[in-house]
Amino acid sequence: MKTEKKHIKSISCEEALKRVFDYIDEHLRGKSRAELEHHLETCRHCFDRVEFEKLLKSRLSKLKVEAQSETLRKRLDALLEQF
Amino acid sequence: MKLTKDEQEDFKALVLPLLDELHRLAYHLCHNQCDADDLAAEAVKKACENFRRLRDRAKIKPWLIRILSNTFISACRARKDYRAIEYVEDTDQEGEHFSLFTQISQPFLLWWGNPERELINKLLDEDIQRAIGSLPVEFRLAVVLCDVEGLSYQEISEILQVPIGTVRSRLARGRSILQKKLWHHAQESGILTRKKDDHENRKKAHQEHQL
Ligand SMILES: [Zn+2]
Repeated sequence: MKTEKKHIKSISCEEALKRVFDYIDEHLRGKSRAELEHHLETCRHCFDRVEFEKLLKSRLSKLKVEAQSETLRKRLDALLEQF
Repeated sequence: MKLTKDEQEDFKALVLPLLDELHRLAYHLCHNQCDADDLAAEAVKKACENFRRLRDRAKIKPWLIRILSNTFISACRARKDYRAIEYVEDTDQEGEHFSLFTQISQPFLLWWGNPERELINKLLDEDIQRAIGSLPVEFRLAVVLCDVEGLSYQEISEILQVPIGTVRSRLARGRSILQKKLWHHAQESGILTRKKDDHENRKKAHQEHQL
């Protein structure tokens, strides 16, 4: 009598690292994802690596941008009027 | 090809709410206000000229992003300092697997906290933007669309019209070079060495205390 979890194949750190970016980009699904998540539960190093990459990605998503300039706004308005 | 009055109104209604986003994307790609303004304006102009070709208006956003991306790539390729990625790939092999995390999380440094988290917190937006701005064009686009704009591989693949495998490999290369640049910046600007001094001082203080 095996539980679902026992069917999950163990993967090496090397294999886990190959999947890190697919994982944080939400591109990893099904069995591959389950195997990685299982590895992350038991491996501190890979867990920390995933946390780091997630943090960096989230830092990039929050980069501030100088507000759209007044000149651009005027240029675009003029452009749109033209058509 | 002049748009009818109705088409003009439709175009405005669809594009105006997306202008801030377009400008944001242009800014991250150019890392320079003037170039970003030019790029955004040029993209909107092209979109307007080709508006009738847009069959599904629900896809206005990816369509605009694609026009802006293509405009950006063409402008970059026309420049003298443009380096084709094949060339970059040939000459920068070891950049392939560079990991900031591996560099920082040295076991002997671990005991004074979480240096990798601290590094990310200490980097200024300006530092990160400059590093992104120095990436080879195709890699920069992949990183900006994925990490800054939060698009999926599928969406990026459609926007850039390249296979998903290509999106993944450009992202991997782009992120690797980006992390390497951030690492060099952290070392040059002393973000890391300051911590190391703290570490040395604390060790000394600890030893003195024990004497
Ligand atoms: Zn591991």
